[in-house]
Amino acid sequence: MNGGGHRPPLQEGTENIYLPKVAVLERVAEDIPEVKTFYWRFEDPAAQAEFKRFRPGQFAQVSLFGVGEFPASLPPSPTENETFFTIRQVGSCTAALHRLKPRDKFAVRGPYGNGFPMKDYEGMNLTFVAGGIGLIPLRSCIVYALQNRKRYGRIQVFYGAKTPGELMYQQDLRAWEKSGGLECHLTVDRAGAGWTGSVGVVGSLFKKPGVNMPVDNTTAFVCGPPIMFRFVIKDLLALGFQERNIVSTLERYMKCGVGKCGHCCIGVAYICVDGPVFTYEQIKKLGEDI
Amino acid sequence: MRARVIASADVLKIVDLLRARGLEVVAPFCGRGRDTCFDTVTDANRDQVRIHLPNPYYPPKRFVFPHIERLMKVHGQNGGLTIEPAYDQTRRAIFGIRSCDVAGLWHLDRFYLGRDFRDVYYEKRRKNLFLVNLVCTDPASDISEDCFCLCADTGPAAREHFDLQLMDLGGGEFMAVAGTPAGEELFAEPIFRRGTAAHLERRRAILDGVRKQFRTSTSWFSATVRYVSQGGILDKTWEEIGNRCLECGGCTYVCPACTCFTVSDREVGPEEVERVRMWDSCALGGFTRMAGGHNPRRAVHDRRNRRFFRKLAQYFIQRELAMACVGCGRCAAVCHGDIGMPSVVEMIRRAAPETAKNETAT
Repeated sequence: MNGGGHRPPLQEGTENIYLPKVAVLERVAEDIPEVKTFYWRFEDPAAQAEFKRFRPGQFAQVSLFGVGEFPASLPPSPTENETFFTIRQVGSCTAALHRLKPRDKFAVRGPYGNGFPMKDYEGMNLTFVAGGIGLIPLRSCIVYALQNRKRYGRIQVFYGAKTPGELMYQQDLRAWEKSGGLECHLTVDRAGAGWTGSVGVVGSLFKKPGVNMPVDNTTAFVCGPPIMFRFVIKDLLALGFQERNIVSTLERYMKCGVGKCGHCCIGVAYICVDGPVFTYEQIKKLGEDI
Repeated sequence: MRARVIASADVLKIVDLLRARGLEVVAPFCGRGRDTCFDTVTDANRDQVRIHLPNPYYPPKRFVFPHIERLMKVHGQNGGLTIEPAYDQTRRAIFGIRSCDVAGLWHLDRFYLGRDFRDVYYEKRRKNLFLVNLVCTDPASDISEDCFCLCADTGPAAREHFDLQLMDLGGGEFMAVAGTPAGEELFAEPIFRRGTAAHLERRRAILDGVRKQFRTSTSWFSATVRYVSQGGILDKTWEEIGNRCLECGGCTYVCPACTCFTVSDREVGPEEVERVRMWDSCALGGFTRMAGGHNPRRAVHDRRNRRFFRKLAQYFIQRELAMACVGCGRCAAVCHGDIGMPSVVEMIRRAAPETAKNETAT
């Protein structure tokens, strides 16, 4: 005897949204102090193939059993062969991930979130503005745009870190510049020996001679620490960017990634399902600190 | 209306019938002192099941969304990793669930089973659940001074979402109403007999009388929804509300419509870990704290703002087709700072003239 038909239809065999799949760590690369890139793949090739349908800007939930689960952005472009996470060691889960060795197993579920609507940006200039490890979620987008170069206008990357040693993805940065597909402008807060580039906040790059930053028909992608975010937004608005042409990807404490646990809900938006990608116009309406 | 009449002396036989059909039956009991609780009916305690009693503070929500629930077990052996989900598929009945709590379950249905993702743990419990709703008719025991289901439009008699509804007509008789075919199937049992027009008339008269017995009225509910939805509440008012919050989380733990949870892993044996989820509360400071310590919603009044926004904003009411407040009054009963839902509505009402002043100042 069961209840009747007064509730939403109950389907048999519904997929378990909380169940991660086993992943194998293939290799680990050091990026900058406390940040490593973890190359991995699913044990099950079918799961791997399905996962590879992710979009730039989406994220995954990473499980270290016995410690917990955390949301991680996906730095690879779906057009790349390898899947990897780039993770800074900040809490207990990320510390556990940092302790893993190649061939160790952990678990992943996803991809989740809306991702960047890359189709909508076709025909536009793309301006990426990143601070510190804020380059991680934007990397996917940058690589995707380069691999579909003809669909986009000018591509500029403005990237700042505290010191030259803390610039992420240095190999990628060099390769991107060499490819001629984009213009890369770097800056650091404190120059060390051997640094000949710019010194100062990332916003100071916008008006440098020769940068000639496009504003019309341009989407600006902004990602970085909250203080950098606030200043860059101010700079971009002053340059004449429309609020709807500034996009970012937000971070919140999340437990489920699928709109149920309630932790990432701000205003009327669940960051995990309605985001993590929002335009600045939308972010302003959320009505809370980010 | 598919309705029958049943003798008061036979009402607990419904519990027996459900148990005979193989269901675990959960029913209300009196605890020690004035405590009441839902508990599983056994042969030993069956006669202690109570019909009229104060609605337990601990809502029956836990039979579809337990306080703590295992999601999966994980074994790690020889470098391998096996992940096994764990489901509770007990066929269960809640006997004596009040109308406010029925509305609470309906809200959970919309939340966990609606939108992009369905919660399979909730679903497996829910589809095996049979609800015997009890209409609150006794002002002395069923209705507390904090109840405001009238204002939330969820009671005292639920109109839908139950399998069977019972209502005390007095004079040794109850009326039983079937809400689903599964509920109606019980009417084949000889304890149910056909009612008369006089029974229906008595039902109406009793409900009319009961509706006048509620002491808490939040007549400003709809206006509050408008103010909350349009951001029309001054920060000062939220701060005033926040100042009274002791951050105990009690309001969320007793709420039949709260849905938030956190997830935690625990070791249960050598090479064996289980992942559990447990109720979490937006009242607690760590609710939004991220690894590394950044907490975007640190201030207590921001957290209070959050709770009432989530419950009352028009956007969520439309999305879930119901307000996430069902008028059970539990938050009002447990809150030491007196900022349960009715008080908050009242504080917003009192602050409204100031909002108007601010609007005209420009």
